[in-house]
Amino acid sequence: MSPTSTSRARSKELLAVEVFLPENQEIKNLRSIKPFVGSIFPTVKVELRPSIGELIEDEQMEAIASSLASARVKDPTRAEQDYEPMYGELDYERRVLEGEARAGGILYNGRILEDIFSKILKPKVERASIVLTDRLVSTFSRDDLRHHLRTIVCGFPSIVSLPGIVEAPAKPREYYLMKQKMEIQGAGELQIEQLKSSFKGRFLDYGDPRTIEVVKGLLFQAVMFHLTLEPFCEKRGCRLFNAHWQEDLIQSQITSAKLCKDHTRQLKALCSHPLIAW
Amino acid sequence: MPIFEKSSESSVTRAIISQFAKDMDGFADTDVIVIGGGPSGLMAARDLALKKVRVLVVERNNYLGGGFWIGGFLMNTITVRAPAQKILDELGVKYKMYEKGLHMTPGPLACSKLISAACEAGVSILNMVSFDDVVLREKNRVAGTVVNWTPVGALPRNITCVDPVALESKLVIDATGHDAMVVRKLEERGLIKIPGFGAMWIEKSEDAVVEHTGFCHPGLIVTGMAVSTTFGLPRMGPTFGSMLLSGRRGADVAYKYLKGKK
Repeated sequence: MSPTSTSRARSKELLAVEVFLPENQEIKNLRSIKPFVGSIFPTVKVELRPSIGELIEDEQMEAIASSLASARVKDPTRAEQDYEPMYGELDYERRVLEGEARAGGILYNGRILEDIFSKILKPKVERASIVLTDRLVSTFSRDDLRHHLRTIVCGFPSIVSLPGIVEAPAKPREYYLMKQKMEIQGAGELQIEQLKSSFKGRFLDYGDPRTIEVVKGLLFQAVMFHLTLEPFCEKRGCRLFNAHWQEDLIQSQITSAKLCKDHTRQLKALCSHPLIAW
Repeated sequence: MPIFEKSSESSVTRAIISQFAKDMDGFADTDVIVIGGGPSGLMAARDLALKKVRVLVVERNNYLGGGFWIGGFLMNTITVRAPAQKILDELGVKYKMYEKGLHMTPGPLACSKLISAACEAGVSILNMVSFDDVVLREKNRVAGTVVNWTPVGALPRNITCVDPVALESKLVIDATGHDAMVVRKLEERGLIKIPGFGAMWIEKSEDAVVEHTGFCHPGLIVTGMAVSTTFGLPRMGPTFGSMLLSGRRGADVAYKYLKGKK
């Protein structure tokens, strides 16, 4: 084998999965993702890395804060957002990056975030880079011409939005109808909490200990994207199912937590020899 | 024997006028002007006053407290999420735990205690006075507000042709709720462009309100629901805990700025 062909073969094999931890680290047992990914791909090195903010040099800080402030989605009906970031938005992003403020509640364009993170991380082909973030991310859908919240934005790096696990997949339809009715009547927090408890178990809320299982499934999807560019499965009981409803998310990631037959077969071929097929 | 001591009508009038004139003399130039006497404004004002900062709250209504008197659906139980109950502890407001992390208390109790705490801390209050405009200085820094009596704005202009007065300050805090009146005034002047409410409903947006509390323009800090409007944060329901914490953060930001200036 010539040296050139050896290096090509090596460059096509997935050598490492690097997971950049979120800013706040509020998910219980978050570090259990390392043995999980390691158990699926035993030949791949799994590295847990600090949050993005900790990797930014002082001299980059203003420029990255400005890019993040510009990545906000203020009008979900517009693919591109054209506005100058405000004084306070820049200040907020800088404080988040420096660990003085907490990320959350703001919606960012996932594709722009991917570009920003890519410039910081400079991902390599043989390493699957995955960023866990406390930011809410969306992508614009050409189907209905609006932004939609996402749990995962597959790319280089892939981005897993932890609040997205709660906010992105829709809760049961009746929940929204009842909530809307209560809000028209001026219901407060107490009534909303009562409403949530009446739907208990049918969707994930903040602090739910089951969330870590969903994080693992999303990481799995991100690694599959890196290997095949096809992260999702159409079968509802498969862990690679791209759930748009909370009940489907719970079914695929927690109740079933398995791969379908086709993906089990595919994984069997991939796990001992994870070749990047693109 | 009469219950009350003797006093003439003229003495009563003089007492009112002399004290008010003295107060207005102090208000003409102060450290911080808070526009809006709701929970976030009162909280910010109280925290600053406790640190010996001269603070004036301008409230357009006769009463202070904004929406803090009453909870959802016109029921006067208000709820506060942890850790904001620590502020209720500081204010001496008794509350009950509804469930882990969620506390409830009567609105009139919490609101009256907050007003009392602000007054006792030394906050000055101009009620029945409405914000009219901003005072701008070099590089369009906000350096005070223009105010007028609230009834003036409620009557036809030909009847109440009364010019407002300007009050100078080192900082202004916009605590006017969803209206974000001070920020909107800057927008009218083309100095800032605000997106308004975010259209998406996101359950956990109250954190974002607290985290975005701070300067939105040189000389101007936003607190409370005005933060939501200013930064286009997602819509949120009534969450008084975040109003109290936002007020506290606004005071911290203001205090650091004032301390740095000295």
